[in-house]
This record gives sequence, C-alpha cells and structure tokens, in this order.
Amino acid sequence: MQTRIISLLVEDHPGVLTRMSGMFTMRGINITSLTVSPCEKEGLSRMTVAIDGSESELEKVRKQLSNLIEVVKVVDLKDEEAIIRDLCLLKVHAKDSGARSEVMQLAESYGARIVDATLDSVTLELTEEPERISRFVELMKHFGVKQLFRSGVTAIGGGGGGGSEK
Amino acid sequence: MARVKLSGAEIVVEELKDEGVEVAFGIPGGVLLDLYDILYEEKEIRHILMRHEQCAAHAADGYARVLGKTGVCIATSGPGATNLVTGLANANIDSSPVVALTGQVPTSAIGSDAFQEASTFTITMPITKHNFLVKRTEDLPKVIHNAFYIANSGRKGVVLIDLPKDVLAGVARVDLHPTWTFAGYKPNIKPNQVQTKKTAVVLANAERPLILAGGGVISADATEELRHLAEFLGAGVVTTLMGKGTIPEGHPFCLGMAGMHGHIYANRAINECDALLAVGIRFSDRTTGWQLDQFAPDATLIHVDIDAAEINKNLQVDIPIVGDVKLALSDIIKWLEKKKRTEGNSKSVWVQRIREMHSACEDCIKDVRSAGSSISDRLIKEISEILDDDAIVTTEVGQCQMFAAHYYMTKNPRTFISSGGLGTMGFGFPAAIGAKVAAPDKKVVDIAGDGSFLMTCQDLATCVENDIPVVVCIFDNRYLGMVRQWQELFFDKKYSHTGLGITPDFVKLAEAFGCYGERVEKPEELKDALNNAFESGKPAVIDMVVGKEDKVLPMIPPGGGIIGMIGTEKCKHV
Repeated sequence: MQTRIISLLVEDHPGVLTRMSGMFTMRGINITSLTVSPCEKEGLSRMTVAIDGSESELEKVRKQLSNLIEVVKVVDLKDEEAIIRDLCLLKVHAKDSGARSEVMQLAESYGARIVDATLDSVTLELTEEPERISRFVELMKHFGVKQLFRSGVTAIGGGGGGGSEK
Repeated sequence: MARVKLSGAEIVVEELKDEGVEVAFGIPGGVLLDLYDILYEEKEIRHILMRHEQCAAHAADGYARVLGKTGVCIATSGPGATNLVTGLANANIDSSPVVALTGQVPTSAIGSDAFQEASTFTITMPITKHNFLVKRTEDLPKVIHNAFYIANSGRKGVVLIDLPKDVLAGVARVDLHPTWTFAGYKPNIKPNQVQTKKTAVVLANAERPLILAGGGVISADATEELRHLAEFLGAGVVTTLMGKGTIPEGHPFCLGMAGMHGHIYANRAINECDALLAVGIRFSDRTTGWQLDQFAPDATLIHVDIDAAEINKNLQVDIPIVGDVKLALSDIIKWLEKKKRTEGNSKSVWVQRIREMHSACEDCIKDVRSAGSSISDRLIKEISEILDDDAIVTTEVGQCQMFAAHYYMTKNPRTFISSGGLGTMGFGFPAAIGAKVAAPDKKVVDIAGDGSFLMTCQDLATCVENDIPVVVCIFDNRYLGMVRQWQELFFDKKYSHTGLGITPDFVKLAEAFGCYGERVEKPEELKDALNNAFESGKPAVIDMVVGKEDKVLPMIPPGGGIIGMIGTEKCKHV
C-alpha cells in the first residue's frame, strides 16, 4: 500500500464530482485526499485524487475513470516525477513566551509563515510536500494543536511534460 | 439545418425520430404531460403503455437485445423513476443499449422536496453508463443525440435523461440534429495489430485451443467470425450465459455453457485447454468458479473486450486485446490465414477430444427423457424440441433460468434473452414483451418460475391491450426454487421462507387478464398446450406443475472450482 496520485481533467459540469467520487465508492477504493480547481482550459476542471492502494488497484481505478464520459484525461503522477504540494493551516497553543519563541523558531526552519497571532495562540501556514507537513504537525503537537486544516494534495508533473498519460 | 422554434417536448420527439426510435415503453405522469401531449399525435413512434415502470425498462432492454437497436423507456418523476432503477441496472450490467427518459419537477422546484420529487440524476448515476439532468430547453438536441450515441457505442449501456417539467414545456430556437461529442468519450474500436498477430501465433502453436464466448460477441454481431475462427482453427467453443447463441448449440465444436451451472464437459475443456481465447466476456464468478487455479491452469489466456476496464479486472491475462470484437476476430483470422495451414501444431487429437465430449454432452441431454430425470429437466427439453430455431426465449431468474441455460438448445444469436449480471427476478416476462414487439413474426416464450412471474405479472394487461401474444411457461414448484435448492444442499434442508404456499391459480390469473391459460401436469402434455397457446393468438400462460424438489444439476458448489462439480451422476465420464 502506498499513496498514489491521479490527476484528472474533467468537464466542468454539475454532478461530475459526485460521479467521480461515486465510482471510487462503487469499486471499494478509499480516497485519502481530493482537490478540485479550475485549470488552464476553459470549461474543464482539474481534480487531484490521492488514494492508498496497490499497483493493480491503481490500474483498475485509472481505467474506470477513463470510462467516465466527462473525464477527458487521466494522468498518473508518479511520486518521483511529480511536484506535490499540500497547504496546511495550523493554530498552536503558545501561552508563554518560551513556547511562543520555540514555535516561531521551528516554523521558520520549516518555512512556515505566521499568519495570525493572539496572546495565547499562533496560526501558521505551510505549503509543502504532504510528508513534510505531517512531520511539522507532529512537532507542533508538542505545544498543543488547537485546530488543523489541510487542503489535500495537488500535484503537477515535473519537467516539460504532463506526467504519464493513460 | 435551419433553426426552428419548438417546445422542449417537441424537440424530444423530433430527436427521438431522428435517432430512428419506433417504439417507446412507458407510463405518463404529471410532469410528463407536455411530452405525452405531443406523443398523442405522433404516428411514427408507437408508445406502449406498461403497467409498471420496471417492466418498461425490461421491455426496452428485451427489445434492444433482440434488434441490437437502442430501446427506449419513459417514466415520470419520483416513484416512476425509482421504479425504473432495477430495470436500468439490469440492462446496464448486461451492456444492453437503452435510453431512459424521466420526468422531473420544474428546475425551480428541484431540491424543495416537491411532490413526486426524487433525485433521479444521483440515484441512477452508478447504474447507468451516463446520465443527464437537462436544465435548459435549448440543450435538448445535443443531449438526446449524445445519449443515443453513448448508449449504442463502445461498451453499450444505459443512458438516462432527466427532463424537468419546465424544460419540456419551455420553447426555444434550436438547431435540430446537431453533431457534438464529449472530448472524453472515445471508445477503443480498433484492436492493436501486434496483439492480434501475437494471438494468432499462440493459437496456431497451441495443441488444445478453446474459445470462451460471451455476450460481447453477440453485441458486436461477430458470431459469423467466431464460428469461422473455431472451424478454421479446430478450436472448441464454450460460452457464458450471455454468450448462448454465439455458436449454434449442437455444432460439433460447441460444448455449451461453462461455469457454475454449465455443462461438465465445457468446464472440463476449460481445465484442459492450452490456449484460451476469451471473447466479449468479463470473467464473472459464475463463469470462472472460485478456485481460479482450476481455471485454464495450463493455458495462455487471451482476453478480447471492447472495455479496457475489463482487462485484468477479475483475472490476470497474458494477451489483452481492447477493441471491437468483430474487428479483433477478423484480424486474428486474417493473421491465421496468412500462415500456411501446416504451420503450427496439429489439433487433430484435440478435435477428437472435443467431438468425444460433445457427443457425451448430447447423450446426457438425450437421456433426459429416461427415468430418474426430473420433470423440470424433461419439460425444458420438450420446450427446446417444440420451438423452432428462430423462436426467442427469455428467462426469469433462478432454477428456470438455469434449466433453460443447460438444456435449451440455442441456435441463433439474439434468441436467448436472460438477466445475466444482475439476476433480476421478474425480468423474463417484460423482456418477452419487448422481444415480441421487436420481432412480431417470431414465437416468444418466457421460461418462468412461479416466484419470478408474480413479480411482474401485472403486465399481462399490457399484452392483452396491445395485442402482444407472448407465452409464459411457468415451472411451478411453489418454491423460490434456486434458494430452496441451496437450502437443501448446503443448509440442512431448512427451507427458511422459500415456500410460496398454494396461491395463485395461474390459469385463472391468465383468464382474469383475458389471456389463454392451461395447466400441464405431465411433460408429454406440453406440446399440445404450447400449440393451443400459439393458436389462441392471445398472450398465454402455461402452468407447468413440476417436482417440488427438482434440482438444477450438476453445479459448482459455492467456493468450488470448475472441475469440482457436484450432482454429476447422470453425466457420462469421458
């Protein structure tokens, strides 16, 4: 089992998201993360889906997705070739100045931005690879995480190409 | 074509006619009044009023399977649409081209839990190939055009169009008969030449080649190619349930249906072959059994299908070929014909073996009249002998279906119509209605069980009102027979809720609807009863009293493999 990322180009119609996610439910495959956004082509949207599954499950999903009428393109983004990002918003307890400076120091070393602060909390923003965000979140748990939001992964093929198209 | 100003309902009817629709099976309702107002005047489309929407879908499905042409059914919003669901799921899983039109509450009322509102669009998403919710009258031409194109191309299936009341009532200026396609819909038609050539080499070099043919061969109208390939190569042919009719049963190379309730020799051939060409099938568990190590263990597996998603879904294969089955078989034949006949391995020993198994199979079927066979076995054999080769047989689901699959000798494609994937009780009778409408000159017989028939029998009224003389032959054992059989064999004869009691009297039921009815107590009475039924010119019900504990045997027990059949005592061992 490993995380697989599929990038889809779909028609921007009402119901496409339901149809696409319904297909995963129907085939018994769990989506771990999903993002939907406009893309460079008018009338089309891009979906980035992360699933946990084997190579054969990925193959099945890819083919079933291709069969959906409104799916224009299915791209399998391999880890090593893709640039993968997740956005994280995190509210951390920081009641005393010691904790506060430690949080800020760690945030800086991870490249996280301080987007808000109150007397007893700091809100951080980090855009990074999902695994690095997970490590950062683990660290912050030491101080006490009040709230955590993650956008889910979005990814783009590296280099000049668009990933391996199926 | 010039722009025309039409109402939504008029556009729908114009586009249906442009798609060649001649028949629609449906039931009107409040939100469909505008559409039915146009259909009232319409001469080119015959609308058949059904008595339940499930039957409308099954009838459209039966019609499509007989003609290969897209069947059309119509239902109103809410309960009309939800009643369609079973029929649509049934057609879709068996890749039958059907377009369903459903009424919907006005767009302004969608989401308000209005009277007879159900979210047909979301409900039918997983049981259709594609569906549409039309929001604007001006979108109707392209939606209808695309619905028909999607339903009857690539892997065929069901497309539903949900039509809100205001979209049908509204008026728009439109261009009729547009051409417009989805960027993401490009069915894989042309098979890969490297793969077909590789297949030809494997088949030529095989000593024991076998073809496993499924419904995809019929769907692609490729039965001629299949037969030619089998004969040219010296390959045996076995089929799935959906593949009955791909090769005439009785052909010396045909070993009949394989799988859970298949012929023992068909299953044995799969186990013995060294190259298996599976065509237009999806390797359902009912075909492969559950011990996959017994399924063609020594064979190079070749899988031809129009749907890439079927490749390696249930079984890993050695050579996949995605594309139109007819083109793929033609290519394989072309490559084989280019080789000299002397090239490759001799199949003579295998052809001998196929003939030996074929004649054992024939003997086994002939022996049905002998003592020890069940009344059910004998009745289905009678039906097979009485009906001519062109007759169309539909089946309900359960024991009656498997008796028919096993003993009814199907000679032509599109003459054996059964619910393969979904296994829908109540399918056979409304499918027979669709079949009879599609082929009015052919005899159409539904092989039914008493349990199944009661699920959709109200449409006898449709048959009487519309002069659709189908004949229903009921295997009447007053049980849900297949489940009872499993309870007998695997649950210590605890017949939990499978007994159906003594009602109804099916002859009187038939007569109450104005149909012909007759009861058959002994198999030898069936011939006269069937003749009486056909001669009556009316829709007819023949109530065949069968042994309460008749069983369909042999069978692969649950969890078993294709050479682990039970109940093989009456089969000759060769």
